[in-house]
Amino acid sequence: MIEVLEAGWTAIQDRGRPGHEREGIPPGGSADLFSAAVANRLVGNDPAAALLECTSRGPTLRFEQDTVIALTGGESEAGDAWRARQVPAGGTLALARVSPGIRCYLALRGGIDVPLILGSRSLCERGSFGGGFGRRLQPGDRLGAGGLVASDPLPNPWPAAHRLPASGPWEIRAIPGPDHNRFANADVTRFFETAFVITPLADRMGTRLAAPSFRARGAEILTTPVSAGAVQVTPSGEVIVLLADHPTTGGYPVMATVVSADLSLLAQARPGETVRFRGVNVAEAARARRRLEGWLDQ
Amino acid sequence: MSAATGRDRGDGAQAGCIQEPACQHGELRRRDTPSGSLDRHQGKPIVQRVWRVARVGDTGVLVVLADVMSEHVLAQVLALDAALRRAPPVGLQSTVPAYASLLCLFDPATTDIDAITIRVRELEGEPAVSLPQGQHHEVPVRYDGPDLDRVARHAHLSTSEVVALHASLDYLVLCIGFAPGFSYCGELPAALETPRLPSPRARVPAGSVGVAGRQTGIYAVESPGGWNLLGRTDRILFDPGRERPCALAAGDRVRFTPVA
Repeated sequence: MIEVLEAGWTAIQDRGRPGHEREGIPPGGSADLFSAAVANRLVGNDPAAALLECTSRGPTLRFEQDTVIALTGGESEAGDAWRARQVPAGGTLALARVSPGIRCYLALRGGIDVPLILGSRSLCERGSFGGGFGRRLQPGDRLGAGGLVASDPLPNPWPAAHRLPASGPWEIRAIPGPDHNRFANADVTRFFETAFVITPLADRMGTRLAAPSFRARGAEILTTPVSAGAVQVTPSGEVIVLLADHPTTGGYPVMATVVSADLSLLAQARPGETVRFRGVNVAEAARARRRLEGWLDQ
Repeated sequence: MSAATGRDRGDGAQAGCIQEPACQHGELRRRDTPSGSLDRHQGKPIVQRVWRVARVGDTGVLVVLADVMSEHVLAQVLALDAALRRAPPVGLQSTVPAYASLLCLFDPATTDIDAITIRVRELEGEPAVSLPQGQHHEVPVRYDGPDLDRVARHAHLSTSEVVALHASLDYLVLCIGFAPGFSYCGELPAALETPRLPSPRARVPAGSVGVAGRQTGIYAVESPGGWNLLGRTDRILFDPGRERPCALAAGDRVRFTPVA
């Protein structure tokens, strides 16, 4: 077992529970799916294994057995990331502050053994279920390893050439729409030329960006279903990008939608860093997706 | 034209099938022409299309059936949803209905917007439908909410008149969205129409029954919220341990019954 000595801001996540949006349940899952997938690959886990997502500040953990772990994503103070490593029985690991990047992933061999709820082990914070405890970790929680093993741990570190950038300024690819026609052409052009600053109002539901004001045309939009990556513009001209735990419906026009491959980048952007959206087409989105899949398949 | 506006070559967004102009009066037009009107265009009859199909990143298609909310539009949304779920096109992973639109989420490795759109357009030609027979739910409510007075003042009614009016009719569940199990129901009697709170509450307890605009709804889980709270129900409307976690679904009817 692993005992949580300090919790940081830590939740159990996996690939989420897409398909339950019609019940108001966000897809959830690791905000940076790429880093989470690499952590599982490094320790030889099945891709469905659950792991820890540590936002801004990670936990301090005491390991009761020899345990193979891997750290990826945002850089923690526990160091020695992007490779499988062994923590000896009785050993303690303190992740502390996460930077650069803001979300660090800790996988342990076999995955974290918590029950599947609606097909996933992920914490759904809004619904207070999943993630083993229905909440983020607290000191005193005990975590056990599961049996979701697919192969041996990787002997070598994850190649630096197969990692995503660790810090901003971020260039995020996005496809215009579905509501870009609600904005003046000049505003759409300006949107893709603007360097937005990430504000501290950022969580797993979405990230608010400091922006020059954009104004949608026409009547208020009727509430529609929304997806992760939606770049919403509020009536006051603020810009919000939705992440994994987004509300399932929204009433703001969506200027653009971040391509699936770049959601992992967005999940690592820290307050104060800048983000620029680059308008791309579907072919480029597919290339970006296949590039990450190619890295994971090796 | 730069890629930024999505009009470069190779972007399906320029394909005619997904560049339908938004229709402000979709419902009316659809109703007037239940099987699609036939226009003479270059000598060939073409079907007048009303649904707007828009790209949502590289993994989604948003089908906007109308820009207004009505039982007729909801019936079409639910019929489209049911048809796609009954016989999903290859690669379609899930669908998410709202008042007048349906989000189709797909696996970009196995399909694309054009394939999904073709299936959606086939279904657009189907005859008009009526709402499926949904379940009827009686929801007991203790009408002791913190905004009962505010709603009463706004309506120039007594609080007991507000309660009687709110509990006097069956509401249609229009959509489950926003948060787990949250039910948007309508349509509220005009006398009870009340704007949202000037600033939302950070915590609204599970089971709270609220009104906003011409809608009423139930917070199935604790969440932030800006609706005027009339009372609370003890009925469990969201339970992730159940195979179907939500007690209510779009198309169901709800009747609130006052309890002490």
